Amino acid sequence: MLAHSYTKLLEPVELVFEAAIVPAYTVAAVPIRFGRWFAALFSNRQDLQTENERLKQENLIHRGQIQRMANLAAENLRLRLLLNATELFLDKVLVTEVIGVSPTPKRHTLIIDRGRNDNVYVGQPLLDAEGLMGQIISVHDNHSIGLLITDSTHAIPVQVLRNGLRSIAEGTSDYNQLRLRFLSSTADIKLGDELVSSGLGERFPPGYPVGKVTNVDPSLGSDFVEVTVSPKAKIDRSKHLLLVFTSENDVFQEVQE
Amino acid sequence: MTLSSVGTTFAVTLFAALILQLIPLPENFIYWRPDFLLLVTVGWIIFSSDSLGIVFAGLMGLLADFIFGSPTGLHMLLFAMVGAIPLFLSGWLTYFTLAHRCGFIFCLAVFYQLMSNIFFSLWALPVNYEYILVVALISSLIWPLLDRLLSAVNYKY
Repeated sequence: MLAHSYTKLLEPVELVFEAAIVPAYTVAAVPIRFGRWFAALFSNRQDLQTENERLKQENLIHRGQIQRMANLAAENLRLRLLLNATELFLDKVLVTEVIGVSPTPKRHTLIIDRGRNDNVYVGQPLLDAEGLMGQIISVHDNHSIGLLITDSTHAIPVQVLRNGLRSIAEGTSDYNQLRLRFLSSTADIKLGDELVSSGLGERFPPGYPVGKVTNVDPSLGSDFVEVTVSPKAKIDRSKHLLLVFTSENDVFQEVQE
Repeated sequence: MTLSSVGTTFAVTLFAALILQLIPLPENFIYWRPDFLLLVTVGWIIFSSDSLGIVFAGLMGLLADFIFGSPTGLHMLLFAMVGAIPLFLSGWLTYFTLAHRCGFIFCLAVFYQLMSNIFFSLWALPVNYEYILVVALISSLIWPLLDRLLSAVNYKY
C-alpha cells in the first residue's frame, strides 16, 4: 500500500493486471448486451417508427442549434483575431463506447473501447451528449480507463456561466452530486447557475458544461458557503461517450483559408 | 470427487464470483451487492482449509484490488485478515449446521465491511456505513448456495 501511494514502483505491474482484467469486464457485460438485444428483438414496428420520428425531430432541432452556434463561433473567432488573441482551440472528438464500469460505488471509473491505437492519452477529457464526464487516467492498446468527475479524488476547475466566478468542483462519490468548497459567503452564486469548465489547469478545454447549482448553503458563522452541483452529464447512464482532442493551430489555418 | 473435478469447481466458482462482482448494476443496487470474491474465498477456506489458507485469501484480495481500483495491497490485507478467521475456525465450522454457518457469514461480512471502511478512511477514500447490515444480510442469504456446492465438492475428496 505504501509502495502504491508513495512510489511508482508498482505501476508497470498494475498496468499489466489492469489489461488482464478487461476480458472479464467484457464477459460481465454480456447479460446486459443480451438484454438489450432481446428487447430490440421484440420492439414492434410502431415503436420503431415513433422513435425514428422523434430522432428526426431532435436532429432537426440540433442542426438548427449548430447553425446558430456556427454563426456565433465565426463571430467569436473574428473578434478574437481582431484582439490578436492567441489561445484558440478547435476540438475534435472521437466516439467511444463504455465496456465496463467500476464494480464498487466507492470508485467512479469506467473502461472504454479506445486506447493507444486510437491516440488516446492520459488526461484526455471525456464527454457525453450533455456535458463533461471525466478524464482518462490509464491507457492500454485497445482500451482505456476513465475517472469520472464524481469520483471523490477528482476535481475540475469551473466557472459560473452567468458571471465568470471561478471555483473548483470536487467529486463526492455520489453520481448525482459535485460540490464547490471554499467559496466566499459573499460570492455571487445562486440556485440554477450553470457551471462550465474554465480551462484553468490546462487539463479540460474551457466552455464545456459541467453542472447546475442545486443547493447553496450559507452556514451561519462560517466564512464559506457549501454549494452543491448536479452534473450535467448522465454519469451512470451514458453508454456512448466522446473523447476530446484539442488542437491550437487548426482554427488559425481555417480562418486563413 | 476427484482432484480434477475439485479443480474445475474451484475455477468455475472463482470465475463466477469475478463475473458477478463485475456485472454492471443500476446505481440503487450497487450498494447492495455483496462481495462475491470474499464469499468464495471464505467458502474455499472453510471447506478446504488443509490446502487453502491466508496466502490464497491474500491473492484473492490482490485480484480485488485490481478490479476495485483500490491501492494495491489494501484488499490483500483485508482478505488475509478476514480469511484468517474461518481458517482458524474451520475445524468447528464444518460441524456447524447451515443456519449457524449463515450466521457466521453474517458476522464475518459485518466485520469485513467495518474493517474495509476503516482502511478506506485511512487512505482518504469514501466510506459508507449505511449499507453494512444490508450487504451482510444479503451475503448470508446467498451463502447456502455456495455452502451446498462446496460441501458437496469437498465431501469425499
